[in-house]
Amino acid sequence: MANNNPVPQGSFCHRTRREFLWDAGGKFTGLALTAMMAQDGFMASQAVAADGVSEFKNPLAEKKPHFQPKAKNVIFLFMYGGPSHMDTFDYKPELYKLDGQTIQVKTKGRGGEKTQGRVVGPKWNFKQYGESGQWVSDLFPHLSTCVDDIAFLKSMTADSPIHGSAMLMMNSGRILSGSPSLGSWLNYGLGSVNENLPGYVVMPDPTGGPISGAKNWSAGFMPATYQGTMFRGEGAPIIDLSLPPGMTREMQRDLLDSLKDGNNRHLASHQGNSDLTSRIASYELAYRMQQHAPEAVDTSDETEETKALYGIDGSQTDEFGKRCLLARRLVERGVRFVQLYSGGNHNDNNWDAHGDLEKNHNYHAGRTDKPITGLIKDLKRRGMLDDTLIVWGGEFGRQPTAEYAKGTGRDHNSYGFTMWMAGGGIKGGQSVGTTDELGAAAVEKPMHVRQLHATILHQMGMDPNALSYFYGGLDHKLVGVEHVEPIKEII
Amino acid sequence: MKYIAARRFPSTCLALLTLSLVCFSHQTAKAQEANIEFSLDVQPIFAKKCFSCHGPGESEGGLRLDSKEGAFAELDSGSRGVIPGKPAESELLRRITTDDESERMPPEGKPLSPAEIKVMRTWIKQGAQWQGHWAFEPMKDHEPPKVKQKDWVNTPIDSFILGQLESAGFKPNPQANRVTLIRRAYYNLTGLPPTAEQVKAFEQDKSPKAYENLIDQLLTSERYGERWARHWLDVVRFAETNSFERDGVKPNAWRYRDYVIDAFNKDKPYNQFIIEQMAGDELPDATNETIIATGFHRLGLWDDEPADRLLHLYNHYDDIVTTTGQSFLGLTINCARCHDHKIDPILQSDYYSFLAFFRGMKPYGIGRSNTSSSQYEISTPEVIAAYSAHDNRVQEQQKKIDEIFNQAIETLPKAERGEARVRGRKKIEKKMENYVPNRASEFSELQREMASIKEQVKYLGARQYALAVNLCDNPPPKTNIMQRGNPHVPGDEVEPRFPTMFGMPAPELPDRTGEKTSGRRTVLANWIASDDNFLTARVMVNRIWQHHFGRGIVRSTNNFGQLGTPPTHPQLLDWLALDFVQNGWSMKKLHKKIMMSSVYQLSSQASEKELAADPNNELFWRYNMRRLSAEEIRDSILAVNGRLNLKMYGPGIYTEISKEVKAGQSVPGKGWGNSKPEERARRSVYIHVKRSLIDPMLANFDFPDTDTSCPDRFTTLQPSQALGMLNGKFLNDQAKVLADRLREESGEKIEKQVADSIQVVFGRDATAEDIKTGLDLINTMQEKHNVDKNRALDLYCLMILNLNEFMFLD
Repeated sequence: MANNNPVPQGSFCHRTRREFLWDAGGKFTGLALTAMMAQDGFMASQAVAADGVSEFKNPLAEKKPHFQPKAKNVIFLFMYGGPSHMDTFDYKPELYKLDGQTIQVKTKGRGGEKTQGRVVGPKWNFKQYGESGQWVSDLFPHLSTCVDDIAFLKSMTADSPIHGSAMLMMNSGRILSGSPSLGSWLNYGLGSVNENLPGYVVMPDPTGGPISGAKNWSAGFMPATYQGTMFRGEGAPIIDLSLPPGMTREMQRDLLDSLKDGNNRHLASHQGNSDLTSRIASYELAYRMQQHAPEAVDTSDETEETKALYGIDGSQTDEFGKRCLLARRLVERGVRFVQLYSGGNHNDNNWDAHGDLEKNHNYHAGRTDKPITGLIKDLKRRGMLDDTLIVWGGEFGRQPTAEYAKGTGRDHNSYGFTMWMAGGGIKGGQSVGTTDELGAAAVEKPMHVRQLHATILHQMGMDPNALSYFYGGLDHKLVGVEHVEPIKEII
Repeated sequence: MKYIAARRFPSTCLALLTLSLVCFSHQTAKAQEANIEFSLDVQPIFAKKCFSCHGPGESEGGLRLDSKEGAFAELDSGSRGVIPGKPAESELLRRITTDDESERMPPEGKPLSPAEIKVMRTWIKQGAQWQGHWAFEPMKDHEPPKVKQKDWVNTPIDSFILGQLESAGFKPNPQANRVTLIRRAYYNLTGLPPTAEQVKAFEQDKSPKAYENLIDQLLTSERYGERWARHWLDVVRFAETNSFERDGVKPNAWRYRDYVIDAFNKDKPYNQFIIEQMAGDELPDATNETIIATGFHRLGLWDDEPADRLLHLYNHYDDIVTTTGQSFLGLTINCARCHDHKIDPILQSDYYSFLAFFRGMKPYGIGRSNTSSSQYEISTPEVIAAYSAHDNRVQEQQKKIDEIFNQAIETLPKAERGEARVRGRKKIEKKMENYVPNRASEFSELQREMASIKEQVKYLGARQYALAVNLCDNPPPKTNIMQRGNPHVPGDEVEPRFPTMFGMPAPELPDRTGEKTSGRRTVLANWIASDDNFLTARVMVNRIWQHHFGRGIVRSTNNFGQLGTPPTHPQLLDWLALDFVQNGWSMKKLHKKIMMSSVYQLSSQASEKELAADPNNELFWRYNMRRLSAEEIRDSILAVNGRLNLKMYGPGIYTEISKEVKAGQSVPGKGWGNSKPEERARRSVYIHVKRSLIDPMLANFDFPDTDTSCPDRFTTLQPSQALGMLNGKFLNDQAKVLADRLREESGEKIEKQVADSIQVVFGRDATAEDIKTGLDLINTMQEKHNVDKNRALDLYCLMILNLNEFMFLD
């Protein structure tokens, strides 16, 4: 596939200022540099060190965007496994009629490349909703009430129809592991406004993470500071956040004070190394995180009405509803990027409907429709939807034809699929791009994952073609080396 | 020079580039009007700010700044960019200084800084001397400079360092004290702290050779190989799994890790080390050891289910070209995959000619599960012969069985035979009397014999394999330049060739018709490892310097190209490299030479004047304090509490990883085994490296990303580290073990326990304040928080393991 071309001509292997300074100063950068960095708020703690003057700087300290942003936070609702677009939002009336017929159609999935197959007619009916008349299938009775806030991207394409590489592509823009994920880029570019919480939170499904696990929220070649932090809805939200058995917060305070005494004595004989002060300060930050992070996930101050809105009622929507509510509470507290996984593990524990399409999608849509709708409505009534960008979708879509001789299961499809965005300055009530009449491939205005990423960065106030990180002799960008435009129709 | 607006620049990149590197590096201590050195001062500015339009392959307005001819030539406009001695008439200077934004260069972003403009002006004024990029010139045998403070000079290294210090008007720091010195030597060579007894003995050793003896002794320690192997493993992207959906294990990757440890311990000459990793399977005297070394080629990512097989194949070559170029040569050859390198004189054809050396290697795996191309049998000849004999016996026996079975099949109608042979076989075999009654008993006897033959495999001894280059194509398939890097669009064919910038004749390829491999990798390896390759030795001595001093003489240790950072001590770098080669590429000799220098033994204390003038310590006026690495932290905790298990080698160990961390895996816990407690107390270098599940403590403390070469780890200081160190199970468990040790060795008295803890953990005597802090904490815990004295001591131990003094090396 030509669009996998890693570094085409016309690009220029620049370095970023960050890397530039990094090289210049290693981990020990000078006074002048520190001052300059402080002015534009770009530099993180790595470069602040040996001068003996500078204070601890949170590596995630807020940084200025390239231009006035539309959105401050992103909630990425990752429908892992690949929802079927022709059964959710991409209405294909012709496809119903062809049900059961074998037709000529080019497909590529885990079962390889095929040129014909047996059509599986869409299993749900579609209706038009909202003033804008968007098509939504019966899988989403709740979400259909929000379509005027949603922009549907119906001609998405990706480089791989295989989960492993496709997940990496959706999360990091490349089909190989080792590159920073979207949330890392956002935190690298913008920092976080709440130093008591991580800037990048991932909430996997209770059945397990997506395949490749932590590779999906890795910071790749960037410092670990920018990697995603797994958050749990129950118990201590972050790993190692809760006190060890037998320890109280008061005991820990006394222990930390004692630690500080020892560290201060050591510091007195080691002037000129602000790494030491930074580390002392990081303990205080950790102490505060232990207070604030549990507060962020403690939903006891939410009203019953709010909980009901998210479907937190003991039914099938309860679990995802809780995570959606946490997502709202986290962005409320300044967490820059929150990613929720609908589905985990393998096979039908996620949207990967190879066998019984109806059973699979009824299950996953049933668990998420009401919570997602609740999230949109709650954000909207709180005035938060304007600066919270919601992204919905999986790593690819599904084929119009059946995978096996029998059954309704569909194989993967990266030639065309649907995602949607809402809030954060996105113009809702519209659909952009189309697939062919079967939904097999994007035809009108095909949009690559890179454009989705570019749009997200753009809404967050960053130029996707300028946000770069120098590593291994190359200037890396989330969107790759070729110029990528955001999706103009929706911004 | 014409204003070219069409060229697209990442706008912030240019804004970001306006900071002048030269201000903070080479020129830091230079008097402003001193001679400008083109390759260190001017060329980096050209490379960073001008080459995109006036560099390799680009000559906007007729100007090219990557060659003297190009820079001095007449431009399209009729003027000249650079007129030596005449800054006022040089168009270049006018265009970088003009206030007219439509004319000013670079066309986007902020203008050059005043310091950079001054460099340009002075350079032209002084006659615009032109040199090639420093790293692309042969090494020079520089005379160590004459210095004033002669008694400070221990080795020629010191002359080079002191020469620059003195011309800046600096004084080196005093020597570090003995406790600091022994800790520095221990950590830098072995990654472990000295014991309290070792510190005491060294403090009391009044012999003038005490320090030298210490170094000699440490260089013979097997801990040395474990420490330095890890540095190398970072560079070669070592991991034991493939990444992607299954993140499957690379069997026997640990043998490569052990090979590296052993190579360092036996001081394998570095040139030999290179050749074995590149082409150990092709050597005339190949051994298991040299074959294991070729695991180097097999450490990268492998997608067993790629969306595009051809692209994946070329990504696999790219992994090897990238790693080889950066690791051994400090060259970003990888930047020329799709087009000529934009900064360095590396052509796209160089990339593919380099790739051609590896073209005969089969990819890591074929299809989804066949990885025989990466598993080389290294069993003893006896075991191999035994298996071969066994296989023959099985085949013989099978023939006899098949003969009767076929007879049975022939009794069936033709149409049924095909099905019967495959799926029906078992069923038929059970009822042979129905088909060939007269041979049924013979058949079952043969089957019984077969079972007993197969049973014997148990007694043949285990077969052993290495992760290595196994299957190759000889002759290799042809290699083409892939247009725009796209393997589906092949262009001109190329032959194996060294990058043109080295000016080498075409390599002579051996005739190895009929052999397993083409021998191409040997040709490449010999060239990389040759005494006069002007990058190889420089790159390696720079890495060794880096891990002793916290940064390389060239900070960008994987990139010696023009976007890398120029060396702060170029003459010293050359001197070290030549000395290294002369000493038979011995790394141990190099360590000793470096460690015996005065500059190595400096205190890390700040000194006001030098700190103000050179906060980056560009000139090495002091020793750079550093935070310990992830492995050093974990190993040190185990060392001071007495639990460290020094067992070496073998398959990786599995540390205890919490349920919460495993919850991020698609199948929580998959691919992570369960090692015994004493195994878990082994050194960190032996922890299994699973790409998608890195031990959280190592990950927290900046264990490198495993997917590409890591020349220099980050050193972050973040709250997640503090959380792990305070609340994590590992730390709390180990603190208790430390407390147990104190309870056992120091008796009942708390004061003694505290005093001894300082000895054990920091290798120094406790001060009155240490004791007071300790007693206060223990008392507070007991009195205010009602914990018993054992628990109070546990908590005290947790506290001291969190101290900066424990985490930082002076």
